Order: sequence, then C-alpha cells, then structure tokens
Amino acid sequence: MPQHPWDGKASTVAAVLYLGLSLLAAFVFVALAALKGETSWSARLIGGVWVFFLTTIILMPVVIPWVRKHAEGR
Amino acid sequence: MSRRLSLPVEGMSCASCVANVEAALKGLPGVREVRVNLATEQATVEYDPTRVTLQDLRKAVEEIGYGLRTATTYLHVTGMSCASCVETVRRALAELPGVLDVSVNLSTETARVDYLPGTVTVREMLAAVRDVGYGAEEKLEGGAALDREQEARRREIHRQGRNLLVATPLALLVMLGTFQPYGVLSRLVPEFLHNKLLLFALTTPLVVGPGAQFFVHSFRGLRRGATDMNLLYATGIGAAYLIAVVNTFWPASGFGGPQATFYEAAALLTWFILLGRYLEAVTRGRASEAIRRLMRLQPRRARVLRDDREVEVSVDEVEVGDLLVVRPGEQVPVDGVVVEGYSAVDQSMITGESIPVEKKPGDEVLGGTLNKTGSFTFRATRVGRETALAQIIRLVEEAQTSKAPIQRLADLVAGRFIFWVHVLALATFLFWYFVGYDLWFSPQTRLMLTPYTLSGASAVGFAVLVSVAVLVISCPCAVGLATPAAMMAGTGKAAEYGILFKGADAVEAASKVQVVVFDKTGTLTKGSPSVTDVVAQGLPEEEVLRWAAVAEKRSEHPLGEAIVRAAQERGLSPEDPEEFEALPGKGVAARRRGRQVLLGNRTFMAEQGISLDGLARAAEELEAQGKTAMFVAVDGHAVGVVAVADTLRETTPVAVRELRAMGIRVAMLTGDNRRTAQAIATQLGMDTVLAEVLPGDKAAEIQRLQAQGYRVAMVGDGINDAPALAQADVGIAMGAGTDVAKETGHVVLVKDDLLDVVAAIQVARATMGLVKQNLFWAFAYNTAAIPLAFGILYPFVHQIVSPELAAVLMATSSLSVTLNTQRMRRYVPPVRRRYRAEEVPAPPGAAAPVPVGR
Repeated sequence: MPQHPWDGKASTVAAVLYLGLSLLAAFVFVALAALKGETSWSARLIGGVWVFFLTTIILMPVVIPWVRKHAEGR
Repeated sequence: MSRRLSLPVEGMSCASCVANVEAALKGLPGVREVRVNLATEQATVEYDPTRVTLQDLRKAVEEIGYGLRTATTYLHVTGMSCASCVETVRRALAELPGVLDVSVNLSTETARVDYLPGTVTVREMLAAVRDVGYGAEEKLEGGAALDREQEARRREIHRQGRNLLVATPLALLVMLGTFQPYGVLSRLVPEFLHNKLLLFALTTPLVVGPGAQFFVHSFRGLRRGATDMNLLYATGIGAAYLIAVVNTFWPASGFGGPQATFYEAAALLTWFILLGRYLEAVTRGRASEAIRRLMRLQPRRARVLRDDREVEVSVDEVEVGDLLVVRPGEQVPVDGVVVEGYSAVDQSMITGESIPVEKKPGDEVLGGTLNKTGSFTFRATRVGRETALAQIIRLVEEAQTSKAPIQRLADLVAGRFIFWVHVLALATFLFWYFVGYDLWFSPQTRLMLTPYTLSGASAVGFAVLVSVAVLVISCPCAVGLATPAAMMAGTGKAAEYGILFKGADAVEAASKVQVVVFDKTGTLTKGSPSVTDVVAQGLPEEEVLRWAAVAEKRSEHPLGEAIVRAAQERGLSPEDPEEFEALPGKGVAARRRGRQVLLGNRTFMAEQGISLDGLARAAEELEAQGKTAMFVAVDGHAVGVVAVADTLRETTPVAVRELRAMGIRVAMLTGDNRRTAQAIATQLGMDTVLAEVLPGDKAAEIQRLQAQGYRVAMVGDGINDAPALAQADVGIAMGAGTDVAKETGHVVLVKDDLLDVVAAIQVARATMGLVKQNLFWAFAYNTAAIPLAFGILYPFVHQIVSPELAAVLMATSSLSVTLNTQRMRRYVPPVRRRYRAEEVPAPPGAAAPVPVGR
C-alpha cells in the first residue's frame, strides 16, 4: 500500500483539530451546566465526558477528510 | 490541489489523434497539464480532482472517438453489516487514484471496481478496504469461488456461533441476577446473584470478549474518519456498561440510584446484537442461493479421449477441440457439439425447459446439464469462462452487484445516517439535560422492560440514558438490507426461469414498463418463413423462382434464405450473382450474366420505374391472405410475384393477452405494409401497429413512443434489433440460447418463449414490490422508533426505552426485512403458474401464414 499524503503529519493535525474542538464543546457544556445551577461536579464531569465523546465521533468523519483534502492540495 | 495520472488511451493512430486527445482533455476545467504519448498510448494528466473527475476525463476522451482501456475486478469484502459499511467501503475504493466506478453489494459481500489498469493495482484496492476495517480478498470464479465462499461463510458462522455460545449463559445469569428481587424469581434465583460486584464480574467478560469486535471495528473505521453501525453498537454497549460500573462503585452519581444496575442493559444489548450477527451470517448465504446453485452445477471432472483412451481430468484442463465422453447420469462438463451417440439431456437448470432435449450428432450440448439416457461423445467448443453456464453466472453476479436507482437513494440516506444519529444523540442529551428533565422528570420513571424505578436519576444520568437509547435504536441495518436482499432474490428467481436481468436498474425499469413493442419477424413469428406461392407473368413459374433465388443467393435475410431453399427443393440450382446489393426494407438488386434482377416491394419497384400492371392485383390477394408478396423484375420488366409467409409462435397470442391483462399496451413493429400488419395485429389483439418501419428506423419508433411519455420495452433478437433494444427503457433480447453475454439488451431470455417476456415483467414487478415493502418496514421502524427513543412519550408515560428494548426493536426490523424477502423463494410468476411452455395449446390461427418483413 503506498503511503498516502494524509498519513503522518496530516492525521496529527486532524486529531488536534477534532480533539480540540470536542474539548471546547465539553468545556462549554460544563460552563453552561454551572450556569444552569448544576452543583454536582461528578454530574458536570460525566456530562462533559459524554459531550466530548459524542462531539469527537461527530467531528472525526468531518475533519479527517477535510484535512486530507487540504494535505493532497499542497 | 492536484493529482497526476496516466490514462491508457485506445484508438490513437497518428499525431493528429494525439493533438485531438490533448485538446479534449485540456478543454476541461481543472485540467492543468496534458502530455499524450502515441507510442505508449498514454495520456499523462495533471488535474484538480475537486474540479474535474476521472469520469469527466474519460467522457472527454470518448466523446471524440477514442477510449480509455479499463478493467474490472471483483473483491470479496467481509465484515460489512449495514449500508454505512457499504458506503465506507465504496468511498475507500473510489478515493483511490485510477478508480472509475465502484459498486458494493452488502448481500453478496462483493465490490465491483472499474479502474484504469496501470494506475492502481488490485493489491492497493484490497489494502484500502482492509485499512477501513474490513476483510478483503480478490473474488475467485467457478468452483474455487464456491469453495472459498463456503469456507468464509462457515468461518463466520462458527465465529459468531462461538461468540453467542459464550455470551448466552453470561447474559442469562446477568438477567436472572438483575431481576432476582422481583416476582417468582425471588424464590427461584439465589440472592447472591443480585450482587452488583458479581454482575460486574459476569458482564465484563461479555463486553470485552464477544462484544470486543464492535469496539475494534469502529475504532479501525474512526481512524480513517469512517463511521458505521458498529460505532452505534460500541457506543451503546460502552455507555451502558460504564453507567453500570459508575453506578456500582459510586451509587450516588445520579444514574438511577442503588437499586438500578444497568448491567442487564449492557449484557442483553450485546447478546441481542450477537444473535443478530449470527442469524445474519446464517441467512446471508441463503440470499445468494441462486448463484451458489448455478456454481454447484459447474462440473469438476471430465472424461477426455486421449489416444483413444478415456482419461479423467479436472474440468479446468479441458481445451477447445478435446473429445469428451459423457455417460448416462453424468453431467456434461463443458459446452460442445455432439459427434457420436444419441441421448436426452436435461437442460432445465440452464434454460428452464422441464422436458429433456434429444441430442444427436451435430447438436449443441451445454456444460452443467445432465445426461439422462444414452452415452455420447462431443467436441468441446467453449471451456472455462466462455461456457454458457459461466456466462450466466457472471451475468447474474453482475446484476446482483449492481444497484437500482432506488437503492442508491436508500444507501445515500443510510450512509449519512450514522453521522446524523450522533448529532441527534447529542441534541437529545442536551435537550433532556437543560430542558426536559426539569419540566417532566418523575421519580416513578422506569426503563421499559426493567422492574426498578429510576427515582434517583440525576439530570445528567437521565439525559445520558435517553441519548444512548437513541443511538442504539437508530441503526440503519434494515435500510441497508432492504433493496439488495430483494434484488438478489428477484434476479436469482428470474435466472431459474432462464430470464437474465443485466442489472438491478433493468429490474426497476422492467417493473415500470407501460408499452411492450414486439419485433414481428423472428419474435412474434417463428422466423423460419417459406415460399407459399409463385405467380408468373411472361415466364414459366420455375424461371421466376430461379431468378428470385439468384437475386437472393447472397442474402442472409430469412426471407432470402426461404426463396433459395424453395428453389433448391424444386431442383433448381440458382447461380451466384456477379453483383449484389441489399436495400434494407425494400428489396435486393443483383446482376447475373449481364442481366439485372430486382426483387422487392411496391415502393422499390416504383423507385426503379417498373410497371406492375397485371401483378399488383395478384399481390394484393396474396397480402390479404397474410402473406408477404415480392415482385420479381428482370431487365426492367416485372415477371412475377413470389409470396412468402411465416407462422406465429404457439405462445404469441397467450403472451399478448397476458400483457394486456396486466394493463400493458402491446405494439408490433414491422416492415410490412400497413394493411397486412393491421390484419395480424387485429388477429392478436395488439393495441398499436408500427408498420412499414425500415430496420434502421426501429430505434426512432421507440424514441417516438418514449416522447409520448411511455416507458417502453422492446422485444427482439439481440443482434438485428440492437439499436432499438438499446433505445428502449428495457431491451429484451429473446432466444439468446447459449451466448448470453454477447447479447445486447437489458434483459436476456435464454429460451425462445414469449411467455418469458410476461414472466420477466412479473418477476420485476414482484421484486420491486418487495423492495418497496422492505423499505417501508425499514423506514417505518426508524421513523417510529427514533421519536420513541427520544422520549416523546415520556411526559405522559414516564417510561424511557431501555437499550435492550432498542436492540430488540432494531433486530425486529432487520428480521422483518429478511423474512419478507424469503417469500420470494416460493414465488412463481403467475404466467408460469398458468402455463408451462410445453403446455400452451396452439391457438386458432397460430399456424396461419404471417407476412415476412425485410
């Protein structure tokens, strides 16, 4: 199998992007939960983890092909 | 963004070809550089794949009269379970440079790849599929393919069976333990089984053992940015398991309180999915039964005559020209022609004819058929991939790998489904956490199918539970199975009757046909005309027939052959003409020893300025009797009329009546004059007559009907009527016999039986009916179940869908689609229930003469 241009550095860039955005979404959730009056830290944490997890799954198939396209273009 | 490819161009012969190809490619937007090499027949193109596709490049080259050398390969892909998998595999292959087209079929586990040889290899394709988490091997043919397929199926059934065997007792114990405090179980099941730590110990091996495949599979896909149904399973199982673990060790974390366990959710969800996988592995093989049955027909051994001795060899070693011996009860190993002996051969497995066919020297025999009574020796004419059976298998396989337009739509929806399901799950979580919980949560909340209440559920715990149910319940597996399973069943059933659909789109098109146009000669009629009358004027009858035969001697038209045959039967020996010209739809002109002979219809004679005085009336009388009258003129003078007639096939009137009863308009296409054509059409009850149509105008007539808004099927012989068959929405080539692959048309009928036209449309309609029912069940399930999982009823009933119930509903949907498809196995086209080919009574007038068009 030939080495694809998106292998290596591009996949790292993609991972940083979708993980970064998912982390951001999780933080936004935690902040909004606090604003809502959620006092339990475990609830905020569990909710944040769940949001992070779902957002990662949503973003991966979007971000990876997008980064791959740009990597091919260079 | 740019990509560089070398395209293998065919048909270039000079520098101007090079310039043409270069100009055509350079004219496309997004093409940056083109270099065409005549010697290597390669065009190196640098292009922007976001602006121009490989298909655009191919089209540009083909539009100017050249071609791209392409190749097709079939891959056996394992591990696909839903339409999302299909889309993932399709995308992985389509993204490879040099791949033109990809079609992936879930039911046959086959990927068909059209590609440019030299730009991409099969190894790269296999690696691309494996890279997104599926198994891939190059698809073999014939017996080897059958062996490999059976072995792969056996392995998969064994693997899933073993998983189920491990999972079943564990899931049963977890379920008994969970429900131990309730009802009769409190007396029957020991109390220690309800211990959460024990439930943890029982569920963990179940999730990390048999359930691990879902996590591994979805992780492999995710690495490449691909999502599939396994991801939904993995998320559902993983979330239920984690909630249970958190609830065990931190009961106050808000997931329902100490009485809630959730281990049963993780365990039963895993068990249901494993059960579904096992049943799928068992039943999927059945779906491709038609192919396997055909493959099983392929003989493995052959008895070859070498140095006057019979030597038993593998069928792969038989070569064209070999003499083979077949004894009673043995299979004919390859196609050939009988040279010695006499027997009756059962050909039902290939042609659908139930009565054995007699075989004598000179007759053709087909590989895979069964010799019944006598022994015979035959000479092999076609071996390996060229035999009729191999061609039929290939055709059926291709049809089952192709996709109907309705299926492309379903795949598109299902392919995007996983992404949107996760978006919906996130939205569900956020809604119930921020809004729904405060508005509607009740301490009496229960998960459906579970005995305990979730009084201690916090907002976050409750919202996570609802979103997990959405994930599990939304699996689009039924949507992915609905169309291909029905198409496989339908095309397989059709093959049993000798009806070969060349693609799923042909099935869909045939189901929508509104008008069936029959070519007359050779289709409605037997196509073996004979001379019935000779009217002479100024010359003896024999002389008129002799001149007519001289004119037709070099003709290959059935009408010409009939005249030459009639002359020979009367002891005349027509000489070869020195000059000969056939004028399609009109007649022939020939010259012999300086004398000019013309034979043709009125129009032709009028064009040649020949007076028909005295003969026109005789011709009219013959035509009124349903015969084709042709004038014979020698040296510019009309000397006689030769009448030729054909006879209708026995099944013609029945087929026309059946089609009309199905609400289909029936039309006849013929070169005959309007008066005689109308006479036959009335006799048969045809709705429309397209008369006086020249052979070259047949396609235009079909086009004219299409322009009136009709979806048209054209029935004709695959060679002469090729343009009309191609123009029609459905081209049905009749009587292909043994060389089915060479036939044009979208549907190929192996036998010369018009009732198969009716049967083909009936099978197509039944198949599309099945597709629509399956899609209804699949979509109805998702449409109804997702809002239920979202909690739309929760404010009223205070129950939410448990993950295991979601799994049951999902499995029910797939099962309803599979069972509905199984009904096709017992399907018999109504026309075949009423008539078998050999039982159709000869209708009154069937033997009446029918004119022959030129």
